[in-house]
Amino acid sequence: MEQLSNSLARTPLNSVVVKRRSKTKSFRQSYRSCLGLTPALTARRLSKSRKAPKSHYITEKVNPEHLALLLKSEWKLSYVTPLYQFRHTQLKSYSRQLSAFIAAEKQQGFAVEVDGSQSNFRVSFSVVQGMTETEDDAETVLIQIHSKPLFAKQSEAQRSVWSGWLTCVNGNSDYLCSLPKDFICLPLFGSSGSEVLTTLVQSWFQKMFDCCFGPLEMNNTCLQWLAALWTNCHPESSIQHLKMIWTLPVVPPLQITYTVNPKDAWKLWSSVRKDPCEENKEEEGVSIDIEDVMRFMQGLKSHFYRHFRLDLSAGCLKQVSTALGSATFSGRVKISNSQYILSTLTLLTECALFKMPV
Amino acid sequence: MAAKLNVSESSESDSPNLSNLSACSRTGSRSLRVAEKERRKNGAEEPFVLALKYFSNVEAGTPVIGNDEFERNMVLVEQVAYFKGLSPEAISVMLEFAMSSRMGTNPCVRVLKCLIPTTMVPQEAVVRGVAWLGVGKIPISSQVLFIKWVLTIFDMIDAKDQLRAIYGFIFSFVTEESLCPFICHLLYLLTRKESVRVFRVRKLLDLQSKLGRQPFLSHLLSLYKVLCPELVTLSIPSRMRSGFRNHNSPWKSALIAVQKSNGSQTDSSTSLPLTIKEKTSLRKRKHKHLELPVLSSQVNKQPQTEPFTSRKVVPLAQLHSLSQLLENMHCIELPAQMGSLLGSSLALQYLDCVQDESALLRLNFWLGYALNEEFFFCGDGGGSQTSEEALQFLDKLLSSQQFLQEGFSSTEAFLYKFLSVWDGSLFRPQILSLLSNIPVVPNSQIGQLLFEPLMQLFFTSSLFFRCGLMECLNNMLLKWLTWHSVYALEDDLDISLNSHTSINMTLSGFKDSVMELIHFAGRLGSVGLQLEGCHSLLLSFILDFYETVCDTFLKYGLPLVVMPPPGVFYPALFAPDPVSVDRLVNIMYRYKVNLTSAKSKEKVTEQAFHISRQTFREFNHYIVVMVNCLWNSKMFQPDMGIQLGEELLLKSNIPEYWASFDLVHHPAFLSYAVDFHQRCWPGKKVLDLNSIKHSKPWTWYLEFLNSQGYDGLKQVVPAP
Repeated sequence: MEQLSNSLARTPLNSVVVKRRSKTKSFRQSYRSCLGLTPALTARRLSKSRKAPKSHYITEKVNPEHLALLLKSEWKLSYVTPLYQFRHTQLKSYSRQLSAFIAAEKQQGFAVEVDGSQSNFRVSFSVVQGMTETEDDAETVLIQIHSKPLFAKQSEAQRSVWSGWLTCVNGNSDYLCSLPKDFICLPLFGSSGSEVLTTLVQSWFQKMFDCCFGPLEMNNTCLQWLAALWTNCHPESSIQHLKMIWTLPVVPPLQITYTVNPKDAWKLWSSVRKDPCEENKEEEGVSIDIEDVMRFMQGLKSHFYRHFRLDLSAGCLKQVSTALGSATFSGRVKISNSQYILSTLTLLTECALFKMPV
Repeated sequence: MAAKLNVSESSESDSPNLSNLSACSRTGSRSLRVAEKERRKNGAEEPFVLALKYFSNVEAGTPVIGNDEFERNMVLVEQVAYFKGLSPEAISVMLEFAMSSRMGTNPCVRVLKCLIPTTMVPQEAVVRGVAWLGVGKIPISSQVLFIKWVLTIFDMIDAKDQLRAIYGFIFSFVTEESLCPFICHLLYLLTRKESVRVFRVRKLLDLQSKLGRQPFLSHLLSLYKVLCPELVTLSIPSRMRSGFRNHNSPWKSALIAVQKSNGSQTDSSTSLPLTIKEKTSLRKRKHKHLELPVLSSQVNKQPQTEPFTSRKVVPLAQLHSLSQLLENMHCIELPAQMGSLLGSSLALQYLDCVQDESALLRLNFWLGYALNEEFFFCGDGGGSQTSEEALQFLDKLLSSQQFLQEGFSSTEAFLYKFLSVWDGSLFRPQILSLLSNIPVVPNSQIGQLLFEPLMQLFFTSSLFFRCGLMECLNNMLLKWLTWHSVYALEDDLDISLNSHTSINMTLSGFKDSVMELIHFAGRLGSVGLQLEGCHSLLLSFILDFYETVCDTFLKYGLPLVVMPPPGVFYPALFAPDPVSVDRLVNIMYRYKVNLTSAKSKEKVTEQAFHISRQTFREFNHYIVVMVNCLWNSKMFQPDMGIQLGEELLLKSNIPEYWASFDLVHHPAFLSYAVDFHQRCWPGKKVLDLNSIKHSKPWTWYLEFLNSQGYDGLKQVVPAP
């Protein structure tokens, strides 16, 4: 992966606005090359530097109910290729169709009327307003599935059994603009609930919008970024601890849990920052470079080495958690603090866009 | 048999439909008389005609039991039916007789069982039969038999439009419990998009809740889902995927026998093209990204396409032949998942002519996703167990691309990434074939995207990889040149490629890319030949490449001539096998033809391109070397490319070293020279090859070589 991103980073393509075919219909697309079609080869790499998370007053922008839902659970992440002919205006009909689809899949061989109300599953699609950061971002979509337990009493209300969302925060605008207008790009998909339902929802989306879902793992770089971004927030809201889990490729495999006192972490972080915000302070955003992050991690690693004679660089970072959130290598993320949700999602959107095939 | 049409005359009064069939009998009594005469002529068939007449005229209420006349006629009809089948008219008469229950319900079953058509069944007869179902006189078992009969001979019904017109009437019988399975089957065969309505869906769902999960209901509903996914949804489990049962048992053997004796091959087995995923024999995988999606119609319609105002569309999944595709070309709806196109050549035909950017992009998203997941992201998959599937997938992709004669852009993007991590052996044939399909790469990026990774692989891989790569580069060049020649033609010789490329490519840009590719192959070839000790297999692939290169101007109209580097020219010239030398000579000859025609064109048009002096100089130099070496026995002349010190040559102790690579002494041709010598002077004991060089034997020798199939040699220096 690392090697790949390097090779891509070298690509000297300019992501100018794509010139699309205009003249006749008679010629074939032979000469069309991926080099011109989308700025895909260059646009999708992780930023080398990003703004430090500001404590957004997101509670003012976003429906608190939705926000509470986003913060409540741990999400399993996937990337999604752009949705073909997805419309935010059709959510009602999507709700009906998805619930019919789930009902049909649950009772194999039993046909289900799409407009019927008999379904055991009630699906609701809704827009989460206020999550977008730029004009090109599509509005976030929230999906909830309610159902009654199998042996429930008549009076018992339906419970939420599954929820998921599709989002795009601060997506690369070159990439987003290069897509034809009947595609909506919501590259990041989070789900929480039974695997079976996740698979069903995904396969419905695939059939409906001709898109593909793939698991989104969080590589080392991404987890290190998160560790740094969260630590950077410490003065404003305490991170309480910085916990990292590493695995080392030895026999038997060794797992190391490395917990750092928040004050120490902050001290280390402020010491590795290039110019401690002197000149940038007046400006709106403080930017963090990948070099800062690498120095921070190096500091943590060498501290560990001094004590245990174990070089963590040989291992693999599997999990990072603080009071603000946690993330694992396998792509499970929990965001506990609403203030930093957008900067976290920006990073995750980047990771998801990085996986786009075209 | 056509002469007996008039039998339906009598039933004309009450069945206007039937009379259409027997149109010729409408001309009245005169034709009747003529027919009468005819009938007398072939008297052998007369009893059968009379029998039919009996059945069409017999009065309602005539008893059956003890009725000898009925029995006699019935036996007669049965004999004919089982022997050679019934004509369309006879079928009409007998079906009408059976369904109308004029002689009670008893003969009905007997008649139905002998309704074996010879060629076809008139639609009107079937429609009338269905109409009689509504009267309700016939017992259920006979009704079932009738529908079974319709299903059996369905493909032999001459037209289906009227049957479709009474779809609603037929549909009303689904509530009849014992008829339901057969009616569902019949409906399945008749259903069109416009026949799928909400109330019918509701009725079927109603039945489903009463009868439970019945295969016949599920199959009809699954067709409804294909046609109108916005109304009904359904998922069919694998154990129910067998389709409808055949109900042709009462007629099967008789039908086959009749068809055999008539020599006709009407296939009456109603095989159902169910749009259900084939069960893959492969075991279940953790990752399903290599599975092609099923070709299914789109659920997510444009909001403006209301069911009544919209134009008629035909889902691609409904088409099964090229002629159907052509008929519906204007109103085809793309499938829900474009990835499914890859599995069907029919769909690819369509993709080839639609120029829908979104459709292509959808396909590319899916394809790129599948390739990425398989080769980059799925590190844990365990390569060996999935390789079979990956292989099949790549083969499918390749055959699709070859079918379309171009590569997909996501394949291209994938390849650029993959080359930097490829070991050169994983799926080598497939990857190299995919690579040869990539479109022209701009000059500025070609080095970094293609040449760098390929060069590394070339130097670190086996001979077979090297040969494979040369072949790949040759195919790539061929594709590029072909595209160029097609576009140059299409655009009325407007050679700027600007308009059809999404990348900004001019003719000179294109030429630069082609030149880069040729130079690159030349470098690889030179070094490869050195590394492999001028291996003749590798040399052969390199010569393949230059056979393409030497004809760029005449064959593909590209004003570009690039000579091979010395590292390729000399190993080929001194190759130990005559085929390589001959091919080299032939290549040089084609260069000559191309250059002379370019030169003459340059003079005529003036504004045309310019081939650099350097190219001519190189060419002339090679020609001089070649001719001096092979024909004139003047190796190592001071003005030639190869120079060796005089003393060094003397030291080698080779007598007449200047002649050691002429056509007689060249290691590639030595055996021919010896052979020729023996044939020319059979008595001579002493081998004196130099004697061949005298003018007369030399001419014969050249002719001898020509006769061995070395035409290239002839072309450069024609025999005097």
